[in-house]
Amino acid sequence: MAVRAQFENSNEVGVFANLTNSYALVATGGSMKFYSVFEAELQDIIPICHVTIAGTRIVGRLTAGNRRGLLLPTSTTDQELQHIRNSIPDTVKIQRIEERLSALGNVICCNDRVALVHPDIERETEETIADVLGVEVFRQTISGNVLVGSYCALSNQGGIVHPKTSMQDQAELSSLLQVPLVAGSVNRGSSLVGAGMVVNDRMAVTGLDTTATELSVVESVFRLGEGNAPGNVEGSLGAAIVETFY
Amino acid sequence: MARMTWKNIAPVPTSQEFLDIVLSRTQRRLPTQIRAGFKISRIRAFYTRKVKYTAETFNEKLSAILDTFPRLQDIHPFHSALMNTLYDADHFRIALGQLSTAKHLIEQVARDYVRLIKYAQSLFQCKQLKRAGLGRMATITKRLKGSLEYLEQVRQHLGRLPSIDPNTRTLLICGYPNVGKSSFLKSVTRADVDVQPYAFTTKSLYVGHFDYKYLRFQAIDTPGILDHPLEEMNTIEMQSITAIAHLRSAVLYFVDLSEQCGYTVEAQVKLFHSIKPLFANKIVFLVVNKIDAMRPEDLDLEKQALLETITKSGEVQMLRLSCHTEEGVMDVRNIACDRLLAVRVEQKLKNAIGSAASQEAVNILNRIHVSRPLSGVEPEPFIPDAVLNRMKYDPNDPNRPKLERDIEVENGGAGVYNVNLKKNYILENDEWKQDKIPEIFNGRNVYDFIDPDIEAKLAALEEEEEQLQASGYYDEAEDIEDEEDVEIREKAEYIREQQQLIRNAARSKKALKNRAIIPRSQTTKKLSDMEAHLEKLGLDPSAISERARSKSRGRASRRDADEDADMMDVDGNPANRAMSVARQNKQKAIEKAKARARSMNRREDGTGESSGARSQAEKMAKLNQKKMNRMARQGEADRHQTASIAKHLFSGKRGLGSTRSR
Repeated sequence: MAVRAQFENSNEVGVFANLTNSYALVATGGSMKFYSVFEAELQDIIPICHVTIAGTRIVGRLTAGNRRGLLLPTSTTDQELQHIRNSIPDTVKIQRIEERLSALGNVICCNDRVALVHPDIERETEETIADVLGVEVFRQTISGNVLVGSYCALSNQGGIVHPKTSMQDQAELSSLLQVPLVAGSVNRGSSLVGAGMVVNDRMAVTGLDTTATELSVVESVFRLGEGNAPGNVEGSLGAAIVETFY
Repeated sequence: MARMTWKNIAPVPTSQEFLDIVLSRTQRRLPTQIRAGFKISRIRAFYTRKVKYTAETFNEKLSAILDTFPRLQDIHPFHSALMNTLYDADHFRIALGQLSTAKHLIEQVARDYVRLIKYAQSLFQCKQLKRAGLGRMATITKRLKGSLEYLEQVRQHLGRLPSIDPNTRTLLICGYPNVGKSSFLKSVTRADVDVQPYAFTTKSLYVGHFDYKYLRFQAIDTPGILDHPLEEMNTIEMQSITAIAHLRSAVLYFVDLSEQCGYTVEAQVKLFHSIKPLFANKIVFLVVNKIDAMRPEDLDLEKQALLETITKSGEVQMLRLSCHTEEGVMDVRNIACDRLLAVRVEQKLKNAIGSAASQEAVNILNRIHVSRPLSGVEPEPFIPDAVLNRMKYDPNDPNRPKLERDIEVENGGAGVYNVNLKKNYILENDEWKQDKIPEIFNGRNVYDFIDPDIEAKLAALEEEEEQLQASGYYDEAEDIEDEEDVEIREKAEYIREQQQLIRNAARSKKALKNRAIIPRSQTTKKLSDMEAHLEKLGLDPSAISERARSKSRGRASRRDADEDADMMDVDGNPANRAMSVARQNKQKAIEKAKARARSMNRREDGTGESSGARSQAEKMAKLNQKKMNRMARQGEADRHQTASIAKHLFSGKRGLGSTRSR
């Protein structure tokens, strides 16, 4: 199930939220509208919590996590950390890490098995990621972009990368991640797929500007809903993609 | 990109309006007051300006019209052909050509009359020439009457043409009149076309849009065509022909087998064959309409054979539908769209893969490619069981689960409602949820003690540290310096100190508070300073200071003279004792004044009269001034008058009297 949403007139959903298979973090905003988009799909299944990180609302870009753990930047205050600890189940390990590249959401892109990280991340951080999230860690770039978290949206079932990623790069990444990958865009052609959407194995939330073609690519790649499989992108959806973008 | 619509062309005035516009503008924008007593040059300038300005206005207005109308050779062939059928390309070109000619003629007239006005001798002559010039321009404009009227009609019609994009995905519906083309358009799109049970209801092209497979398609309804040679076709039919010939589209050729339309099956099949050349390189479908009345299977064999002449080549597929019962309408649409899409995509991909593939084309190939891991293992999702037996959220269901949003609306909406962030806490005891925890307690950050055994852990760490210290883990072997090292260190320290001193001195020198920057070579330095410095460096300064002393100017002679004067005051000269006191006083005053005058002459001061430095300096000054004088540059000594304000700028309001200043 893929849904379109906006956070206070911004389409960059991935900036203001972080969605995993066992919890969701949502920025506190002026109204509950954005929060309820998640609530409608995930209420009573996983905890959805209102948070701020270091007093800011860009929680999606500052945090990184999966089903097993959550990484917070060193700027997180003690109170925020305690609030998050109280809000999400104890099975999820929470770790505040000292890392110079403190926008963890931009430099880490992970699902429940693998994580891609920024090539310049510290060794200790790399080890912490492997321990807390229980994943294999690879230092990678996505078509030359070091901010892997911004240019890649990943779930256990598939992934979308920067629209200009070449086929060789895609093949390399998909063999690392062990999931099917597609080069695509969200929010009417935005290449910041990681920042423009959030996804877990059950649902995806993209910006309100996302076109029907883009949304159907998202649904197919992440297998959201009946009959959606990555193969659609090569098959029935291919024509629509070619006609819209070329 | 070429334009598709011409909805914003400005209205074209009639020739009379045109004249009024131009002449009244001349009247409004130019001065009108002229007197016979003015200088003839002024009168000529006045009328020249009138003529020129009028011609310019004509030129401007005519160019505006010429620019806004489309040039038939610049637009898409479909639009240009459509305009040809609707407005007759020749007529259109001639009309625009006439405007262009008129523009040139008016320019010529203006040039001629400006030349004549140059030789006019009086105001009257000037005025008559101007009148004649403007009159000729008006005559030229009046001759444009027909063209302007025609262009205005074209403009009105152009604005109402449907905006047809010749390059997008297009379904084109054509066939005999009254076979149900407009009904089909009406049932697949939201276009509000007129459907009537008589032939030639549709007299022009109509466009409707619909979405299929995430894409926007345009469907074009054309007027019916009768089977006769191209030359005999009327404007209405020619529009259909233009659309079929020029648009890259899927053509749906509609036939009515029930013959309710009033045309026989034979005639309809014959028409297909006669317009077949237009279908080259296009996807064509034979669409049998009104199958509620007559199906192709129920047709007699003769007619079936006729129909087969169309489909037998294999390129044309037969589809069937009934707009009346809505049977097969969507199927026909979908089949046509699928075929069209497939062909278009195939063509585009062929271009993309070709040798001259652009980066854009390569990017699109990347996007329709799915990279799969080589192992071929399908990834396993992690979906909690709770998801599977969860009801789908429906915002219209009255019994839907209550969301935070609903609670917010109930409690006064956004900005008023304040969500309790603690209510969803997952704690062992629900009563703890609202507990208040201080941030700082007894001067300590509470969060540092969140771990119950933190004290024990800290104690353990400290103990370990102590042990390490005790066992001498941190004791480093003291490094012993030998003499050489000490010397080097001391020297280094000395160098650093000196460097710092130099730096400080430079800094304090820089802090000039509004004083002039004096180059180092010009600053005065005491001889004693130099001596001290040289001594410090271990040099003997005696020779140098000796030399410096010998160069310095002696004051001996002056001092002698002064001494004489002074001594006279103090002890008195016995020779002068006899002089009267008055004389003595006078003498004294003169001596004093002389002494003062000698010492106070600043021009001489410090130069030494005998050295001739003074005259040399004057010579130099003159030499320097020489260039300045030769260039006649303005100097501060020159007379200068500042700009004065014109009278009307500082005098008060104007009365009712004449305005002379114009």
